[in-house]
Amino acid sequence: MIHQISIQGMLGATHARKGDERRKSLLGVKGLRKRHGERLLFDIGCLEIASHSAYVLTGMNGAGKSTLLRVLGGLERAEIDSLRFEGMEERPYPYPRALRESIVYVHQHPVMFSTSIAHNIGYGLQVRGVPKIEAARRVEEAMAWAGVAHLQDVEPGRLSGGERQRVALARAKVLCPKLLLLDEPTSNLDGQAREQVIELIPTMVEAGGSVVVACHDRDLIGLPGVQRLKLRDGHLEVRQ
Amino acid sequence: MLDATLRAFALLFTGDADLWRIIWVSLKTSVVGLLLATPPAVLLGYLVAMHRFRGRRIAIWLAQAALSLPTVLIGLLLYLLLSRHGPMGPLQWLFSQSGIIAGQFVVAIPVLLAFTLAAVQAVDPRYAETAIAHGASRVQVMARVLHEARFGVMAAVLSGFGRVISEVGCALMVGGNIEGETRTITTAIALETSKGEFAQGIALGIVLVTIALLMNGVLMLLQGDAHVAKDRP
Repeated sequence: MIHQISIQGMLGATHARKGDERRKSLLGVKGLRKRHGERLLFDIGCLEIASHSAYVLTGMNGAGKSTLLRVLGGLERAEIDSLRFEGMEERPYPYPRALRESIVYVHQHPVMFSTSIAHNIGYGLQVRGVPKIEAARRVEEAMAWAGVAHLQDVEPGRLSGGERQRVALARAKVLCPKLLLLDEPTSNLDGQAREQVIELIPTMVEAGGSVVVACHDRDLIGLPGVQRLKLRDGHLEVRQ
Repeated sequence: MLDATLRAFALLFTGDADLWRIIWVSLKTSVVGLLLATPPAVLLGYLVAMHRFRGRRIAIWLAQAALSLPTVLIGLLLYLLLSRHGPMGPLQWLFSQSGIIAGQFVVAIPVLLAFTLAAVQAVDPRYAETAIAHGASRVQVMARVLHEARFGVMAAVLSGFGRVISEVGCALMVGGNIEGETRTITTAIALETSKGEFAQGIALGIVLVTIALLMNGVLMLLQGDAHVAKDRP
């Protein structure tokens, strides 16, 4: 429970600090519908994600949590009436460049590219053309942040589930995304590995981004300062 | 048989000019044909594997069916195209090494395409999605996925080489088996055997087997650490 208290403390501090600031809308989506064939998976009238905020997205298995994150991350298409990002109207498709550069989605079971751990973490910087020296510095910082600096010589295929998840978080964090979408990051972890991953999530909000975490994890759902979104019967409920 | 085999080794190790000229023509036409065929076939294999479009299943069916297309039929079609009155007649490639290279190009395409297709389809889609989610462009995603499929793509290239170096029908029909110019290992073996001259045929056969062993050895070396590099599910 020591870990639980410290996590709550971190998020509580974040919440208090942010409470003094006027939260701007980061992402606004209206009329978001996703069908699988004839079946309507969800029909969301309005989804608003504020900047510097943390959300947990809950719902039964099959409710569409992962699909919703994948749609927001540009990995799946859906019907979208209107899309606004940082106050600018955007056409949903092709997936806007501004969103592609600002939103990072992390799989429930992240894969590691068959290169080094450092290259995995620096991948997003490499494809953005960030100079090598700066990229190396940021990768080093991200590795330290995620507590994976000692893994840099390990083959990615030999990482444990918890290590893999932390490397995946570092790979996303290094890009300083404005919105991070995490798909059940603790679902297959237990014990220390799970706690280590949970500890990293609030620090992402501390760093200035917003996070949406799809999960069933009670420790994440119950955190203060985190807004709750619930997908139920194809509709999105917002709970404070 | 023993006498022919001993003479075959003698031909190989005494540096018989005719024999090595045949080997050179074979390697040159095969490697050039393969190098020309690899980029478009790998690109096509990747695109078919990664994209959903109308007629995709038919494209896959045709690519796989083309694997069993007799090379002599490819040779016949190319012969008609390259013959003096054919649409590609002005190129004057018939009975030339350029003609054989064109034949090897066509022969290699189905193998490269089908093997690349299978290799890319076997790559977990999360690799491409992870690349996309971290801001990669289409070309960068392709580079990432092909890197993850590299052992399969290498196997495709080596299998393509095996197919072109060992085919006889197309090289015979398009090349014409002209001594010193378009005579390849396989067309020479066919000719020498028909003449009852087995020594050169056996020598060239030894070369083919050696090439096959080397190719597979290289592939095994490259795949040596594949089990480590491969990501666990």
